[in-house]
Amino acid sequence: MYEAELSKNISKEHEEYLKKVRQINISIRISQIIILIAFFGLWEIAGDLKWIDPFILSQPSRMWSTFIQLFRTGNLIYHIYVTMYETIIGFLLGTVLGTVIAVILWWSDYICRVLDPYLVVLNSLPKTALGPIFIVWMGNGQAAIITMALAISLIVTIISVLNGFKEVDDDEIKLLKTFGASRYQILQKVVFPSSIPTMVSALKINIGLSWVGVITGEFLVSKAGLGFLIVYGGQIFKLDMVMTSVLILSILAALMYIGVSYLEKYFLRWKLS
Amino acid sequence: MDDFIISMKNVSMNYHTVDGETKAIDGVTFDVNQGELLGIVGPSGCGKSTILSLIAGLLKPSSGEIFLDGKVSYMLQKDYLLAWRTILQNALLGLEIQKKLTAENKKNVINMLMKYGLGDFLNHYPNQLSGGMRQRVALIRTLAVGPDILLLDEPFSALDYQTRLAIADEVWKIIKQEEKTALFVTHDISEAISMSDRILVLSKRPGRVIKIHKIITSGEQGPLNRRKAPEFRDYFNEIWKELDVHV
Ligand SMILES: Nc1ncnc2c1ncn2[C@@H]1O[C@H](COP(=O)(O)OP(=O)(O)OP(=O)(O)O)[C@@H](O)[C@H]1O
Ligand SMILES: [Mg+2]
Repeated sequence: MYEAELSKNISKEHEEYLKKVRQINISIRISQIIILIAFFGLWEIAGDLKWIDPFILSQPSRMWSTFIQLFRTGNLIYHIYVTMYETIIGFLLGTVLGTVIAVILWWSDYICRVLDPYLVVLNSLPKTALGPIFIVWMGNGQAAIITMALAISLIVTIISVLNGFKEVDDDEIKLLKTFGASRYQILQKVVFPSSIPTMVSALKINIGLSWVGVITGEFLVSKAGLGFLIVYGGQIFKLDMVMTSVLILSILAALMYIGVSYLEKYFLRWKLS
Repeated sequence: MDDFIISMKNVSMNYHTVDGETKAIDGVTFDVNQGELLGIVGPSGCGKSTILSLIAGLLKPSSGEIFLDGKVSYMLQKDYLLAWRTILQNALLGLEIQKKLTAENKKNVINMLMKYGLGDFLNHYPNQLSGGMRQRVALIRTLAVGPDILLLDEPFSALDYQTRLAIADEVWKIIKQEEKTALFVTHDISEAISMSDRILVLSKRPGRVIKIHKIITSGEQGPLNRRKAPEFRDYFNEIWKELDVHV
Protein backbone atom coordinates (compact mmCIF):
# COMPACT_ATOMS: atom_id res chain seq x y z
CA MET A 1 0.00 0.00 0.00
CA TYR A 2 2.89 2.34 0.79
CA GLU A 3 4.34 1.83 -2.67
CA ALA A 4 1.00 2.58 -4.23
CA GLU A 5 0.81 5.83 -2.32
CA LEU A 6 4.32 6.75 -3.35
CA SER A 7 3.89 6.08 -7.03
CA LYS A 8 1.00 8.49 -7.27
CA ASN A 9 3.12 11.54 -6.53
CA ILE A 10 6.76 10.67 -7.01
CA SER A 11 9.20 13.11 -5.48
CA LYS A 12 12.21 14.42 -7.43
CA GLU A 13 14.54 12.48 -5.20
CA HIS A 14 12.66 9.22 -5.73
CA GLU A 15 12.65 9.82 -9.47
CA GLU A 16 16.43 10.20 -9.41
CA TYR A 17 16.72 7.00 -7.44
CA LEU A 18 14.56 5.03 -9.85
CA LYS A 19 16.53 6.42 -12.77
CA LYS A 20 19.79 5.26 -11.19
CA VAL A 21 18.39 1.78 -10.60
CA ARG A 22 17.29 1.59 -14.21
CA GLN A 23 20.67 2.79 -15.48
CA ILE A 24 22.54 0.14 -13.51
CA ASN A 25 20.21 -2.57 -14.82
CA ILE A 26 20.77 -1.44 -18.40
CA SER A 27 24.52 -1.30 -18.00
CA ILE A 28 24.59 -4.81 -16.54
CA ARG A 29 22.63 -6.10 -19.52
CA ILE A 30 24.98 -4.33 -21.95
CA SER A 31 28.02 -5.82 -20.25
CA GLN A 32 26.52 -9.29 -20.51
CA ILE A 33 25.91 -8.84 -24.23
CA ILE A 34 29.43 -7.48 -24.77
CA ILE A 35 30.95 -10.53 -23.10
CA LEU A 36 28.90 -12.81 -25.34
CA ILE A 37 29.88 -10.98 -28.53
CA ALA A 38 33.50 -10.69 -27.48
CA PHE A 39 33.68 -14.40 -26.69
CA PHE A 40 32.35 -15.52 -30.06
CA GLY A 41 34.15 -12.73 -31.92
CA LEU A 42 37.48 -13.66 -30.38
CA TRP A 43 36.85 -17.32 -31.05
CA GLU A 44 36.18 -16.54 -34.72
CA ILE A 45 39.25 -14.33 -35.08
CA ALA A 46 41.47 -16.80 -33.25
CA GLY A 47 40.40 -19.46 -35.70
CA ASP A 48 40.95 -17.23 -38.74
CA LEU A 49 44.41 -16.21 -37.57
CA LYS A 50 45.31 -19.83 -36.75
CA TRP A 51 45.89 -19.06 -33.06
CA ILE A 52 43.80 -22.13 -32.45
CA ASP A 53 43.08 -25.13 -34.64
CA PRO A 54 39.47 -24.87 -35.87
CA PHE A 55 39.48 -28.59 -36.60
CA ILE A 56 39.76 -29.34 -32.87
CA LEU A 57 38.13 -26.30 -31.34
CA SER A 58 35.69 -25.43 -34.12
CA GLN A 59 34.67 -21.84 -34.86
CA PRO A 60 31.41 -19.87 -34.70
CA SER A 61 31.14 -19.51 -38.48
CA ARG A 62 31.75 -23.24 -38.96
CA MET A 63 29.21 -23.99 -36.26
CA TRP A 64 26.68 -21.83 -38.02
CA SER A 65 27.15 -23.60 -41.34
CA THR A 66 27.02 -26.96 -39.56
CA PHE A 67 23.81 -25.81 -37.96
CA ILE A 68 22.30 -24.91 -41.33
CA GLN A 69 23.50 -28.14 -42.84
CA LEU A 70 22.18 -30.26 -39.98
CA PHE A 71 18.94 -28.38 -40.17
CA ARG A 72 18.56 -29.07 -43.87
CA THR A 73 19.83 -32.60 -44.20
CA GLY A 74 20.49 -34.00 -40.76
CA ASN A 75 17.09 -33.99 -39.13
CA LEU A 76 18.23 -31.48 -36.51
CA ILE A 77 14.67 -30.67 -35.50
CA TYR A 78 14.04 -34.35 -34.97
CA HIS A 79 17.08 -34.74 -32.72
CA ILE A 80 16.13 -31.66 -30.72
CA TYR A 81 12.60 -32.97 -30.39
CA VAL A 82 13.78 -36.36 -29.17
CA THR A 83 16.05 -34.88 -26.53
CA MET A 84 13.47 -32.33 -25.37
CA TYR A 85 10.81 -34.99 -25.19
CA GLU A 86 12.95 -37.30 -23.11
CA THR A 87 14.07 -34.51 -20.83
CA ILE A 88 10.59 -33.15 -20.19
CA ILE A 89 9.14 -36.60 -19.55
CA GLY A 90 12.05 -37.47 -17.26
CA PHE A 91 11.73 -34.15 -15.49
CA LEU A 92 7.97 -34.42 -14.99
CA LEU A 93 8.19 -38.04 -13.88
CA GLY A 94 11.01 -37.25 -11.46
CA THR A 95 9.14 -34.29 -10.01
CA VAL A 96 5.74 -35.92 -9.68
CA LEU A 97 6.98 -39.30 -8.48
CA GLY A 98 9.50 -37.69 -6.13
CA THR A 99 6.83 -35.45 -4.63
CA VAL A 100 4.38 -38.32 -4.23
CA ILE A 101 6.98 -40.44 -2.46
CA ALA A 102 7.95 -37.46 -0.28
CA VAL A 103 4.28 -37.08 0.71
CA ILE A 104 4.12 -40.75 1.68
CA LEU A 105 7.27 -40.45 3.77
CA TRP A 106 5.92 -37.29 5.42
CA TRP A 107 2.63 -39.02 6.14
CA SER A 108 4.21 -41.95 7.90
CA ASP A 109 7.17 -41.13 10.07
CA TYR A 110 7.60 -44.86 10.57
CA ILE A 111 8.09 -45.64 6.87
CA CYS A 112 10.33 -42.61 6.60
CA ARG A 113 12.63 -43.84 9.33
CA VAL A 114 12.66 -47.38 7.97
CA LEU A 115 13.65 -46.20 4.50
CA ASP A 116 16.10 -43.51 5.59
CA PRO A 117 19.34 -45.55 5.23
CA TYR A 118 18.27 -46.80 1.81
CA LEU A 119 17.65 -43.28 0.60
CA VAL A 120 21.08 -42.24 1.84
CA VAL A 121 22.79 -45.09 -0.01
CA LEU A 122 20.78 -44.55 -3.21
CA ASN A 123 21.51 -40.86 -3.06
CA SER A 124 25.26 -41.33 -2.93
CA LEU A 125 25.29 -44.01 -5.64
CA PRO A 126 26.45 -42.61 -9.01
CA LYS A 127 23.33 -43.36 -11.01
CA THR A 128 25.11 -43.34 -14.38
CA ALA A 129 26.59 -46.68 -13.30
CA LEU A 130 23.11 -48.12 -13.69
CA GLY A 131 22.88 -47.13 -17.37
CA PRO A 132 23.90 -50.50 -18.85
CA ILE A 133 21.49 -52.26 -16.50
CA PHE A 134 18.58 -50.09 -17.68
CA ILE A 135 19.45 -50.87 -21.28
CA VAL A 136 19.39 -54.59 -20.58
CA TRP A 137 16.11 -54.31 -18.74
CA MET A 138 14.30 -51.93 -21.00
CA GLY A 139 15.93 -52.38 -24.32
CA ASN A 140 18.16 -50.04 -26.25
CA GLY A 141 15.68 -47.19 -26.60
CA GLN A 142 13.90 -44.22 -25.16
CA ALA A 143 12.56 -46.09 -22.13
CA ALA A 144 16.09 -46.67 -20.90
CA ILE A 145 17.03 -43.02 -21.48
CA ILE A 146 14.01 -41.70 -19.60
CA THR A 147 14.65 -44.15 -16.78
CA MET A 148 18.19 -42.84 -16.60
CA ALA A 149 16.93 -39.26 -16.26
CA LEU A 150 14.42 -40.41 -13.66
CA ALA A 151 17.02 -42.32 -11.68
CA ILE A 152 19.27 -39.29 -11.49
CA SER A 153 16.60 -36.81 -10.38
CA LEU A 154 14.25 -38.95 -8.30
CA ILE A 155 16.17 -39.46 -5.06
CA VAL A 156 17.31 -35.84 -4.93
CA THR A 157 13.72 -34.72 -5.40
CA ILE A 158 12.46 -36.99 -2.64
CA ILE A 159 15.10 -35.81 -0.21
CA SER A 160 14.80 -32.10 -0.90
CA VAL A 161 11.00 -32.03 -1.00
CA LEU A 162 10.79 -34.08 2.18
CA ASN A 163 13.21 -31.72 3.88
CA GLY A 164 11.00 -28.85 2.79
CA PHE A 165 7.99 -30.61 4.32
CA LYS A 166 9.81 -31.20 7.56
CA GLU A 167 10.95 -27.60 7.87
CA VAL A 168 7.35 -26.43 8.08
CA ASP A 169 6.76 -24.59 11.33
CA ASP A 170 5.28 -27.00 13.89
CA ASP A 171 3.21 -24.18 15.30
CA GLU A 172 1.54 -23.53 11.97
CA ILE A 173 0.53 -27.18 11.98
CA LYS A 174 -0.68 -26.76 15.55
CA LEU A 175 -2.74 -23.77 14.42
CA LEU A 176 -4.54 -25.99 11.94
CA LYS A 177 -5.06 -28.63 14.60
CA THR A 178 -6.76 -26.06 16.81
CA PHE A 179 -9.42 -25.91 14.13
CA GLY A 180 -9.59 -29.70 14.04
CA ALA A 181 -7.84 -30.15 10.70
CA SER A 182 -7.26 -33.64 9.31
CA ARG A 183 -3.82 -34.77 8.22
CA TYR A 184 -4.83 -34.30 4.62
CA GLN A 185 -5.96 -30.72 5.33
CA ILE A 186 -2.67 -30.02 7.09
CA LEU A 187 -0.85 -31.23 3.99
CA GLN A 188 -3.06 -29.24 1.65
CA LYS A 189 -3.30 -25.96 3.56
CA VAL A 190 0.07 -25.61 5.27
CA VAL A 191 2.70 -28.17 4.39
CA PHE A 192 2.34 -27.95 0.63
CA PRO A 193 2.04 -24.19 0.21
CA SER A 194 4.77 -23.39 2.67
CA SER A 195 7.20 -25.76 0.97
CA ILE A 196 6.63 -24.34 -2.49
CA PRO A 197 9.89 -22.36 -2.32
CA THR A 198 11.82 -25.57 -1.58
CA MET A 199 9.93 -27.42 -4.27
CA VAL A 200 10.69 -24.76 -6.85
CA SER A 201 14.39 -24.90 -6.07
CA ALA A 202 14.15 -28.69 -6.30
CA LEU A 203 12.61 -28.24 -9.75
CA LYS A 204 15.49 -26.05 -10.81
CA ILE A 205 18.02 -28.64 -9.74
CA ASN A 206 15.90 -31.33 -11.37
CA ILE A 207 16.00 -29.72 -14.77
CA GLY A 208 19.78 -29.80 -14.73
CA LEU A 209 19.78 -33.40 -13.55
CA SER A 210 17.27 -34.49 -16.18
CA TRP A 211 19.51 -33.08 -18.89
CA VAL A 212 22.45 -34.97 -17.42
CA GLY A 213 20.41 -38.18 -17.34
CA VAL A 214 19.10 -37.82 -20.88
CA ILE A 215 22.43 -36.93 -22.46
CA THR A 216 24.18 -39.78 -20.63
CA GLY A 217 21.39 -42.10 -21.75
CA GLU A 218 21.72 -40.95 -25.35
CA PHE A 219 25.47 -41.50 -25.18
CA LEU A 220 24.84 -45.10 -24.21
CA VAL A 221 21.87 -45.83 -26.44
CA SER A 222 23.25 -43.87 -29.41
CA LYS A 223 20.23 -43.74 -31.64
CA ALA A 224 18.91 -40.20 -31.76
CA GLY A 225 18.96 -36.88 -29.96
CA LEU A 226 21.54 -34.21 -29.24
CA GLY A 227 23.50 -36.64 -27.06
CA PHE A 228 23.70 -38.98 -30.03
CA LEU A 229 24.88 -36.14 -32.30
CA ILE A 230 27.60 -35.30 -29.81
CA VAL A 231 28.87 -38.88 -29.55
CA TYR A 232 28.54 -39.44 -33.27
CA GLY A 233 30.32 -36.16 -34.10
CA GLY A 234 33.14 -37.15 -31.76
CA GLN A 235 33.50 -40.57 -33.36
CA ILE A 236 33.80 -39.20 -36.89
CA PHE A 237 35.98 -36.27 -35.71
CA LYS A 238 33.45 -33.66 -36.70
CA LEU A 239 34.03 -31.30 -33.79
CA ASP A 240 31.83 -28.69 -35.48
CA MET A 241 28.89 -31.01 -35.03
CA VAL A 242 29.81 -31.62 -31.38
CA MET A 243 30.18 -27.94 -30.57
CA THR A 244 26.99 -26.99 -32.39
CA SER A 245 25.04 -29.61 -30.48
CA VAL A 246 26.51 -28.50 -27.18
CA LEU A 247 25.58 -24.91 -27.95
CA ILE A 248 22.01 -25.85 -28.85
CA LEU A 249 21.85 -27.90 -25.69
CA SER A 250 22.90 -25.00 -23.50
CA ILE A 251 20.35 -22.71 -25.13
CA LEU A 252 17.56 -25.25 -24.57
CA ALA A 253 18.58 -25.85 -20.97
CA ALA A 254 18.64 -22.10 -20.34
CA LEU A 255 15.17 -21.68 -21.86
CA MET A 256 13.73 -24.40 -19.68
CA TYR A 257 15.36 -22.89 -16.61
CA ILE A 258 13.84 -19.51 -17.45
CA GLY A 259 10.45 -21.19 -17.78
CA VAL A 260 10.71 -22.54 -14.26
CA SER A 261 11.85 -19.16 -12.98
CA TYR A 262 8.63 -17.68 -14.31
CA LEU A 263 6.67 -20.36 -12.50
CA GLU A 264 8.59 -19.48 -9.36
CA LYS A 265 7.66 -15.82 -9.67
CA TYR A 266 4.04 -16.78 -10.11
CA PHE A 267 3.92 -19.06 -7.09
CA LEU A 268 5.90 -16.77 -4.82
CA ARG A 269 4.10 -13.55 -5.60
CA TRP A 270 3.11 -13.21 -1.94
CA LYS A 271 6.78 -12.91 -1.07
CA LEU A 272 7.40 -10.08 -3.50
CA SER A 273 4.58 -7.78 -2.54
CA MET B 1 -22.28 -28.30 37.61
CA ASP B 2 -25.16 -26.50 35.95
CA ASP B 3 -23.58 -23.17 35.02
CA PHE B 4 -20.07 -24.38 34.37
CA ILE B 5 -19.00 -24.28 30.79
CA ILE B 6 -15.54 -25.66 31.57
CA SER B 7 -14.67 -27.88 34.49
CA MET B 8 -11.23 -29.30 35.24
CA LYS B 9 -11.10 -31.98 37.93
CA ASN B 10 -7.76 -32.96 39.39
CA VAL B 11 -6.01 -32.81 36.03
CA SER B 12 -2.33 -33.73 35.74
CA MET B 13 -0.18 -33.76 32.65
CA ASN B 14 3.21 -35.33 32.09
CA TYR B 15 5.23 -34.90 28.91
CA HIS B 16 7.31 -37.85 27.82
CA THR B 17 10.45 -37.53 25.77
CA VAL B 18 13.38 -39.88 25.31
CA ASP B 19 15.38 -37.75 27.73
CA GLY B 20 12.82 -38.15 30.48
CA GLU B 21 9.51 -37.08 31.87
CA THR B 22 8.33 -33.55 32.61
CA LYS B 23 5.54 -33.03 35.07
CA ALA B 24 3.88 -29.93 33.64
CA ILE B 25 0.75 -29.56 35.80
CA ASP B 26 -0.33 -31.43 38.88
CA GLY B 27 -3.85 -31.86 40.22
CA VAL B 28 -5.35 -28.73 38.70
CA THR B 29 -9.01 -28.16 39.56
CA PHE B 30 -11.14 -25.19 38.56
CA ASP B 31 -14.41 -24.27 36.89
CA VAL B 32 -15.30 -21.51 34.47
CA ASN B 33 -18.76 -19.99 34.38
CA GLN B 34 -20.76 -19.11 31.31
CA GLY B 35 -19.78 -15.65 30.06
CA GLU B 36 -16.80 -15.38 32.35
CA LEU B 37 -13.33 -14.09 31.50
CA LEU B 38 -10.80 -16.11 33.46
CA GLY B 39 -7.18 -14.94 33.57
CA ILE B 40 -4.36 -17.42 34.18
CA VAL B 41 -1.05 -16.17 35.56
CA GLY B 42 2.00 -18.10 36.65
CA PRO B 43 5.75 -18.28 36.23
CA SER B 44 7.20 -19.21 32.85
CA GLY B 45 7.03 -22.93 32.15
CA CYS B 46 4.43 -23.66 34.84
CA GLY B 47 2.02 -25.22 32.38
CA LYS B 48 -0.28 -22.40 31.29
CA SER B 49 -0.18 -23.26 27.59
CA THR B 50 -0.51 -26.91 28.57
CA ILE B 51 -3.82 -26.20 30.31
CA LEU B 52 -5.16 -24.47 27.20
CA SER B 53 -3.98 -27.29 24.92
CA LEU B 54 -5.70 -29.80 27.21
CA ILE B 55 -8.98 -27.90 27.07
CA ALA B 56 -8.67 -27.54 23.30
CA GLY B 57 -8.23 -31.30 23.04
CA LEU B 58 -4.78 -31.09 21.46
CA LEU B 59 -3.40 -33.08 24.39
CA LYS B 60 -4.83 -35.87 26.49
CA PRO B 61 -4.39 -35.49 30.25
CA SER B 62 -2.29 -38.08 32.07
CA SER B 63 -4.96 -38.20 34.75
CA GLY B 64 -8.06 -36.29 35.83
CA GLU B 65 -11.12 -35.19 33.93
CA ILE B 66 -12.09 -32.23 31.78
CA PHE B 67 -15.71 -31.32 31.08
CA LEU B 68 -16.64 -28.95 28.30
CA ASP B 69 -20.01 -27.57 27.40
CA GLY B 70 -19.50 -25.70 24.18
CA LYS B 71 -17.38 -25.24 21.12
CA VAL B 72 -13.79 -24.18 21.72
CA SER B 73 -11.56 -21.98 19.58
CA TYR B 74 -7.91 -21.54 20.48
CA MET B 75 -5.71 -18.55 19.72
CA LEU B 76 -2.08 -19.58 19.99
CA GLN B 77 0.75 -17.71 21.69
CA LYS B 78 1.73 -16.05 18.40
CA ASP B 79 -0.51 -14.88 15.56
CA TYR B 80 0.77 -17.42 12.97
CA LEU B 81 -0.84 -15.83 9.97
CA LEU B 82 0.03 -17.91 6.93
CA ALA B 83 2.32 -15.78 4.79
CA TRP B 84 0.98 -16.95 1.42
CA ARG B 85 -2.63 -16.20 2.25
CA THR B 86 -4.23 -12.79 2.11
CA ILE B 87 -5.74 -11.28 5.24
CA LEU B 88 -9.22 -12.38 4.23
CA GLN B 89 -8.04 -15.90 3.35
CA ASN B 90 -6.28 -16.09 6.70
CA ALA B 91 -9.37 -15.00 8.57
CA LEU B 92 -11.37 -17.66 6.72
CA LEU B 93 -8.93 -20.49 7.46
CA GLY B 94 -10.87 -21.98 10.38
CA LEU B 95 -14.16 -21.92 8.50
CA GLU B 96 -12.48 -23.52 5.50
CA ILE B 97 -11.07 -26.37 7.60
CA GLN B 98 -14.35 -26.97 9.34
CA LYS B 99 -16.13 -26.89 5.97
CA LYS B 100 -18.40 -24.04 7.03
CA LEU B 101 -17.39 -21.52 4.41
CA THR B 102 -20.86 -20.37 3.43
CA ALA B 103 -21.54 -17.03 1.78
CA GLU B 104 -23.14 -15.84 4.99
CA ASN B 105 -20.18 -16.80 7.18
CA LYS B 106 -17.85 -15.14 4.74
CA LYS B 107 -19.86 -11.96 4.86
CA ASN B 108 -19.72 -12.06 8.64
CA VAL B 109 -15.95 -12.31 8.61
CA ILE B 110 -15.64 -9.44 6.14
CA ASN B 111 -17.91 -7.35 8.36
CA MET B 112 -15.78 -8.15 11.39
CA LEU B 113 -12.59 -7.26 9.53
CA MET B 114 -14.12 -3.95 8.48
CA LYS B 115 -15.42 -3.25 11.95
CA TYR B 116 -11.97 -3.71 13.45
CA GLY B 117 -10.15 -1.46 11.02
CA LEU B 118 -8.92 -4.01 8.49
CA GLY B 119 -11.37 -3.23 5.70
CA ASP B 120 -8.68 -1.77 3.44
CA PHE B 121 -6.40 -4.74 3.88
CA LEU B 122 -8.55 -7.71 2.89
CA ASN B 123 -6.35 -8.54 -0.08
CA HIS B 124 -3.02 -7.65 1.50
CA TYR B 125 -0.54 -10.23 2.71
CA PRO B 126 0.38 -10.53 6.39
CA ASN B 127 3.89 -9.09 5.95
CA GLN B 128 2.28 -5.78 4.99
CA LEU B 129 0.54 -5.43 8.35
CA SER B 130 1.65 -4.11 11.72
CA GLY B 131 1.82 -6.36 14.77
CA GLY B 132 -1.42 -5.01 16.19
CA MET B 133 -3.29 -5.55 12.95
CA ARG B 134 -1.99 -9.11 12.66
CA GLN B 135 -3.14 -9.84 16.18
CA ARG B 136 -6.61 -8.60 15.32
CA VAL B 137 -6.73 -10.81 12.23
CA ALA B 138 -5.75 -13.79 14.38
CA LEU B 139 -8.50 -12.95 16.85
CA ILE B 140 -11.08 -12.62 14.08
CA ARG B 141 -9.92 -15.95 12.65
CA THR B 142 -10.48 -17.45 16.10
CA LEU B 143 -13.92 -15.86 16.44
CA ALA B 144 -14.98 -16.66 12.88
CA VAL B 145 -15.77 -20.32 13.58
CA GLY B 146 -18.42 -19.20 16.07
CA PRO B 147 -17.01 -20.64 19.30
CA ASP B 148 -18.65 -20.46 22.71
CA ILE B 149 -15.31 -20.60 24.48
CA LEU B 150 -12.19 -18.68 23.54
CA LEU B 151 -8.76 -19.81 24.66
CA LEU B 152 -6.25 -16.99 24.33
CA ASP B 153 -2.57 -17.69 24.96
CA GLU B 154 -0.72 -14.45 25.71
CA PRO B 155 -2.69 -12.74 22.98
CA PHE B 156 -0.88 -9.43 23.33
CA SER B 157 2.70 -10.55 23.90
CA ALA B 158 3.91 -9.41 20.48
CA LEU B 159 2.72 -5.83 20.91
CA ASP B 160 4.32 -2.67 22.26
CA TYR B 161 2.90 -1.28 25.47
CA GLN B 162 0.64 1.40 23.97
CA THR B 163 -0.90 -0.90 21.39
CA ARG B 164 -1.20 -3.58 23.99
CA LEU B 165 -3.39 -1.43 26.24
CA ALA B 166 -5.56 -0.36 23.33
CA ILE B 167 -5.99 -3.85 21.87
CA ALA B 168 -6.65 -5.37 25.30
CA ASP B 169 -9.46 -2.88 25.75
CA GLU B 170 -10.82 -3.70 22.31
CA VAL B 171 -10.60 -7.45 22.79
CA TRP B 172 -12.34 -7.19 26.14
CA LYS B 173 -15.18 -5.32 24.49
CA ILE B 174 -15.41 -7.85 21.67
CA ILE B 175 -15.58 -10.76 24.09
CA LYS B 176 -18.19 -9.11 26.27
CA GLN B 177 -20.22 -7.89 23.30
CA GLU B 178 -20.29 -11.29 21.65
CA GLU B 179 -21.02 -12.87 25.03
CA LYS B 180 -18.20 -15.38 24.86
CA THR B 181 -16.54 -17.26 27.65
CA ALA B 182 -12.79 -16.80 27.61
CA LEU B 183 -9.67 -18.18 29.25
CA PHE B 184 -6.64 -16.07 28.74
CA VAL B 185 -3.05 -16.59 29.74
CA THR B 186 -0.70 -13.73 30.48
CA HIS B 187 2.61 -12.98 32.14
CA ASP B 188 1.44 -9.52 33.00
CA ILE B 189 -0.29 -9.26 36.38
CA SER B 190 -1.71 -5.81 35.59
CA GLU B 191 -3.15 -7.05 32.35
CA ALA B 192 -4.76 -10.01 34.11
CA ILE B 193 -6.37 -7.78 36.74
CA SER B 194 -7.55 -5.26 34.18
CA MET B 195 -9.33 -7.84 32.02
CA SER B 196 -10.41 -10.78 34.17
CA ASP B 197 -13.52 -11.57 36.15
CA ARG B 198 -11.45 -14.10 38.03
CA ILE B 199 -7.74 -14.87 38.09
CA LEU B 200 -6.20 -18.28 38.50
CA VAL B 201 -2.71 -18.13 40.03
CA LEU B 202 -0.46 -21.10 39.30
CA SER B 203 2.66 -22.21 41.17
CA LYS B 204 6.03 -22.95 39.62
CA ARG B 205 6.29 -26.17 37.60
CA PRO B 206 4.60 -28.52 38.10
CA GLY B 207 1.74 -26.04 38.04
CA ARG B 208 -0.74 -26.23 40.90
CA VAL B 209 -3.56 -23.81 41.64
CA ILE B 210 -2.37 -21.46 44.39
CA LYS B 211 -5.46 -19.32 44.52
CA ILE B 212 -8.40 -18.09 42.49
CA HIS B 213 -9.13 -14.38 42.92
CA LYS B 214 -12.48 -12.86 42.17
CA ILE B 215 -11.76 -9.39 40.81
CA ILE B 216 -14.28 -6.74 41.71
CA THR B 217 -13.51 -3.10 41.15
CA SER B 218 -15.57 -0.02 41.76
CA GLY B 219 -16.32 2.48 39.02
CA GLU B 220 -16.63 1.88 35.34
CA GLN B 221 -15.59 -1.50 33.93
CA GLY B 222 -13.25 -2.31 31.06
CA PRO B 223 -9.47 -2.76 31.12
CA LEU B 224 -8.47 0.90 30.83
CA ASN B 225 -10.91 2.05 33.53
CA ARG B 226 -9.97 -0.77 35.81
CA ARG B 227 -6.35 0.25 35.88
CA LYS B 228 -7.45 3.45 37.57
CA ALA B 229 -9.64 1.70 40.17
CA PRO B 230 -8.55 1.97 43.82
CA GLU B 231 -8.60 -1.82 44.33
CA PHE B 232 -6.16 -2.39 41.48
CA ARG B 233 -3.01 -2.00 43.61
CA ASP B 234 -4.20 -4.37 46.31
CA TYR B 235 -4.89 -7.14 43.85
CA PHE B 236 -1.56 -6.50 42.23
CA ASN B 237 0.38 -6.73 45.49
CA GLU B 238 -1.42 -9.85 46.58
CA ILE B 239 -0.81 -11.73 43.33
CA TRP B 240 2.75 -10.48 43.17
CA LYS B 241 3.42 -12.01 46.59
CA GLU B 242 1.80 -15.29 45.61
CA LEU B 243 3.92 -15.56 42.52
CA ASP B 244 6.94 -15.06 44.76
CA VAL B 245 9.10 -13.55 42.07
CA HIS B 246 12.81 -13.60 42.84
CA VAL B 247 15.10 -11.43 40.81
N1 LIG C 1 5.83 -31.02 23.81
C1 LIG C 1 6.50 -31.00 24.98
N2 LIG C 1 7.36 -32.00 25.30
C2 LIG C 1 8.04 -32.00 26.46
N3 LIG C 1 7.93 -31.05 27.40
C3 LIG C 1 7.10 -30.01 27.16
C4 LIG C 1 6.35 -29.94 25.93
N4 LIG C 1 5.61 -28.82 25.97
C5 LIG C 1 5.88 -28.22 27.14
N5 LIG C 1 6.77 -28.94 27.87
C6 LIG C 1 7.27 -28.61 29.21
O1 LIG C 1 6.17 -28.48 30.08
C7 LIG C 1 6.29 -27.36 30.92
C8 LIG C 1 5.08 -26.46 30.77
O2 LIG C 1 5.04 -25.93 29.46
P1 LIG C 1 4.02 -24.81 29.03
O3 LIG C 1 4.32 -24.45 27.61
O4 LIG C 1 2.65 -25.26 29.33
O5 LIG C 1 4.41 -23.61 29.99
P2 LIG C 1 3.87 -22.11 30.01
O6 LIG C 1 3.41 -21.84 31.38
O7 LIG C 1 2.92 -21.87 28.92
O8 LIG C 1 5.22 -21.31 29.74
P3 LIG C 1 5.42 -19.86 29.09
O9 LIG C 1 4.92 -18.89 30.08
O10 LIG C 1 6.88 -19.77 28.91
O11 LIG C 1 4.66 -19.86 27.81
C9 LIG C 1 7.58 -26.67 30.53
O12 LIG C 1 8.55 -26.98 31.50
C10 LIG C 1 7.95 -27.26 29.20
O13 LIG C 1 9.35 -27.41 29.11
MG1 LIG D 1 2.98 -20.67 27.14
